[in-house]
Amino acid sequence: MLEQLLIFTRGGLILWTCKELGNALKGSPIDTLIRSCLLEERSGAASYNYDAPGAAYTLKWTFHNDLGLVFVAVYQRILHLLYVDDLLAMVKREFSEIYDPKRTLYHDFDDVFQQLRKEAEARAEEMKKSKQVSQPISNNMGKKQGQVQKSGIQGGNKKKSSGESGNDGEDGENLKGRKIENGHTNGKNFAADRLPSMGNVNGKENVSSNNGAFDVNKLQKLRAKGSKKVDTVTNKSSKEEPKKKVTKKNRVWDDSPKESKLDFTDPVGENGDENMVVVAADEGESMMDKDEIVSSDSETEEEEDAGKDSKIETKKKGWFSSMFESIAGKANLEKADLEPALKALKDRLMTKNVAEEIAEKLCESVAASLEGKKLASFTRISSTVQAAMEEALVRILTPRRSIDILRDVHAAKEQRKPYVVVFVGVNGVGKSTNLAKVAYWLQQHDIKVMMAACDTFRSGAVEQLRTHARRLQSHVRSGGISLVKNCAFTVEFIEIPIFEKGYEKDPAIVAKEAIQEATRNGSDVVLVDTAGRMQDNEPLMRALSKLIYLNSPDLVLFVGEALVGNDAVDQLMKFNQKLADLSPSTNPRLIDGILLTKFDTIDDKVGAALSMVYVSGAPVMFVGCGQSYTDLKKLNVKSIVKTLLK
Amino acid sequence: MEKDGFEQLKHQVEEWVREAEKLVHQIPQTQLYAAIGVVLLTIFFFLLVRLFKRAKPNTIVLTGLSGSGKTVIFYQLRDGSSHQGTVTSMEPNEGTFVLHSEINKKGKIKPVHIVDVPGHSRLRPKLDEFFPQAAGIVFVVDALEFLPNCRAASEYLYDILTKAIVVRKKIPVLILCNKVDKVTAHTKEFIRKQLEKEIDKLRASRTAVSEADVANEYSLGVPGEVFAFSQCQNKVTVADASGLTGEISQLEQFVREHVKA
Repeated sequence: MLEQLLIFTRGGLILWTCKELGNALKGSPIDTLIRSCLLEERSGAASYNYDAPGAAYTLKWTFHNDLGLVFVAVYQRILHLLYVDDLLAMVKREFSEIYDPKRTLYHDFDDVFQQLRKEAEARAEEMKKSKQVSQPISNNMGKKQGQVQKSGIQGGNKKKSSGESGNDGEDGENLKGRKIENGHTNGKNFAADRLPSMGNVNGKENVSSNNGAFDVNKLQKLRAKGSKKVDTVTNKSSKEEPKKKVTKKNRVWDDSPKESKLDFTDPVGENGDENMVVVAADEGESMMDKDEIVSSDSETEEEEDAGKDSKIETKKKGWFSSMFESIAGKANLEKADLEPALKALKDRLMTKNVAEEIAEKLCESVAASLEGKKLASFTRISSTVQAAMEEALVRILTPRRSIDILRDVHAAKEQRKPYVVVFVGVNGVGKSTNLAKVAYWLQQHDIKVMMAACDTFRSGAVEQLRTHARRLQSHVRSGGISLVKNCAFTVEFIEIPIFEKGYEKDPAIVAKEAIQEATRNGSDVVLVDTAGRMQDNEPLMRALSKLIYLNSPDLVLFVGEALVGNDAVDQLMKFNQKLADLSPSTNPRLIDGILLTKFDTIDDKVGAALSMVYVSGAPVMFVGCGQSYTDLKKLNVKSIVKTLLK
Repeated sequence: MEKDGFEQLKHQVEEWVREAEKLVHQIPQTQLYAAIGVVLLTIFFFLLVRLFKRAKPNTIVLTGLSGSGKTVIFYQLRDGSSHQGTVTSMEPNEGTFVLHSEINKKGKIKPVHIVDVPGHSRLRPKLDEFFPQAAGIVFVVDALEFLPNCRAASEYLYDILTKAIVVRKKIPVLILCNKVDKVTAHTKEFIRKQLEKEIDKLRASRTAVSEADVANEYSLGVPGEVFAFSQCQNKVTVADASGLTGEISQLEQFVREHVKA
C-alpha cells in the first residue's frame, strides 16, 4: 500500500499530507531523498530507494516547477505499486488548480485525493484483470508475471501519449474496442508463445505496451465520468500528460496527426498501411522541428541572412514570434523547447571532457527542474538553461562537508591519535608525488608528518618515497632558514620519518605498524602510500579493502588524473563498489575525498573534476598542478564552472 | 523574389516613418515638451525611490545548519504557526510582511523582508546574494542536537563572521538557540561557550593556511587572546527560541531593533 503522499514547496513547507495514510514513516525518507537525490542533481532518475533499519521504501516524485511544488509518494519497496506514477500525475494536475501561494491549509484536498486514489487503484486492478483474461495464471508463474507487469507499466508510460493522440483523432469508443481486441489477440499470442519457451521478447513487449495504452483510455473514461469536465479534462490531459515522461520518440508520436499504433505485428492489413503513413508523416514533421530549432537558436544569424532564405515567409514568422516570445515571456517551458538548448549544452560539456553519462544525467536533471516553468521576459531559452545548469554545477562542486584538513588534524591531535590519510588510485596517476606535496604543505603548518611506504609491490616505490622524504627535509631547511633562526628546535621537528618494511610484505600490516610507530614517536599525520591498482583487479582491490578495514583511516583520498575522460566514472564507481563489497565490515569506508592530479596539463578540459565529484559525491580536496612541491591548490569552484560553460 | 519582398518591406517601413512624422508635427509643441518633461520626471522619481530603498536595508537573513528549524521560524514570524511541519528546503523562502505578532497593532507598521536561506551545504553560495541588503543575520542553532553538529555549526558561523561585507557593514548577528522547549536542550550560555571555543580553534587553523586557500577576508578577534564574541566588530548576541511552540519573542525583538517599525 501507499505509505504516504506529501505535497511541499521547494522552500520546504509541507502543504498537504494524506491523513488516512497517516502511519508514521520510519526514519526520515523525505529529507534523505531531498539531500541525497534532489540536491545532488539526480532528480532526473525515476525513483529513489530509501533504506533504514526496519524500513525499505521506494520514493517517487514529480515537480511542478512553475509553482515550485514537489509531490512525493512513499511506498514499501516489496510492493510494486503500479499506479504511483499516474497517481502523482493526477494529484499534481488537481492540486495545481487549487494551489494559492498564500494558502497553507488544504483540507478540502482530502476528498479529491481519495477519489484520485480510487481511480488509480481501479485502473491498476483493471490492468491486472486484463492480464488475467489474456493469460490464465498458474501459480508457479506468479513471479514471472510480476516481472511482466513491471515492464508493462513502463511500456504503458511510454506509450501513453500515443494512446492519447489516437484519442484526439478518432472516436473514443471505436478505439477502445479495437484496443481491447488487440490486447486480446496479442495476449493469446503471447500466452501461446510463452508456453513452449520464454523466447519471443517482442511478443512480450507488445502485450505490455498494448495493455498500457488501453488502460490510459480507460482512465480517461473514468475521469470524464467523475469530474464532469469532459472537454477540458481530455484536452488538458492530452496537453499535459506527454509533458512529464517523454522519451524523444514520444514527442514525435504526439505530433503525428493520425492514430499511431505501435504494434507492427498486427496482422490486419489496414493497420499496416496506416503505420506506413504515420512513419512518413513523422519524417516530415521532424524536419520542420529542425527548422524551428535553428530559428529559435540563432536569432542574430538570421537577422543577417533573412533576405537570402528561400522560405522567407515561415522564417520571418519564426523570427517575429520568437522575438515576441522573448519580450512577452513564453507561457510555459516544455520539454521540446528545452531540448535543443540542452543538447547544445551537453555537447559543450562533453567537449570539456565531462563523461557522457554524467552530462546526460545533468541535462535530464536540469530539464526536470525547468519543465513547466515560466520563461521570464527578455530572456531566451538557451540563457535560461545555461543559468540553471550553472547553478546545478556550483551546487555539485560545492563540498558537502568541511574539507578543512588542518582542523581535522588538530582535532585528532587533541585525542592523541595520529591522523591517517590513505592515498588510493590506479597506476601512474601520481599518488607518491602528490603525497609528497601534501606532506610539504602539512609541514609548513608545523604538523609532524610520517610517511608509510605501503607500496610493497612495484620496485623502486619505497626508494622513491625515501628520496622525497630526504628532499623535503633539505627543502624546508634551506628554504625556511629565516623561520628557523628563532628557535633551534624546529629543525629537529621538521624531519620526515619514513616507515618501510621493504617489499613483498602485506601492506595492511605495514600500515598498521606505521600507525603504531607514529603514535609512539608523536607524529600528527601518517600519509599511507599504496600501490596503484586497476579498478577491475579483484585481488588487489581486496587487499586495499583489507588495508582500509584494518587501519580505519581518517581520510581515504582517491588520486585521479584530470586527463581522464569517460573512465573517471568507471574508476570511481568501481573503487567505491569494491571497497563496499569486499570489506569484511558491515559499514564499509568509502572514498572521502579526491585529489586531482596533472591539472596543469589539461587546458580547459576540466570535466574530469565534475565527473568524479558527481559519481562519488566526495569533494575535490586538492588539485595537483605542477612539478614542484608547492604546486598543490584548492579547487576554485567558480572558475571551474565558468570554464565548463565557456 | 526574395529581394522584392525585402524591398516591399522597406517601402512600408518608410511609409510608416513618414506617417509618424506627420503625426508628431500635428501635435502642438507645448504638449510635446510637457510629455517629455513628464517622462523625465517619472524616471527621476523612480531613480530616487530606488536610491532611497538601497540606503535602508530591511532584510533579516535566517541562516544555520540544515535541520535547525529556520523554515519553521520563518513561518512562525509570518503566520504565527508552523503549519504541518517542514522538510529540507531546496530554495530560499522570502517574504515581505508585517510580523504576525504585530498584525493587531494600531498605526502603520513597516513590513520586514525576511529570507530563510537553506542550510544544506551545497546551497550555501546562495547566502552571499542576500548580504548586501541585510540589516541583521540570525544564525539558528539546534540546541537539542548541538554537540554532534557543533563543529559544522561553528565553521559555518566562522565563515559568516569573517565575510568582508559582514565585517565592513557591521551587520549584527543573533545566535538563536532553537528547540529550547525540549527538556534535554542545552542552555544558550553553554552553546555560546562551545561556539567560542570552536571558533578559537578554527581561527588557529585557518589563519595559518597558505595563500592558496585564503577564502576568508578578515581575521576574527584579537590575536593572542581567547576568542569571545564580544571581540567582533559587529554585535553578536545570543537568544533562545522555540519554533514549534512559537516562543520567538526575543527574535522579534531583534528584528524590530534593526528594522525600525
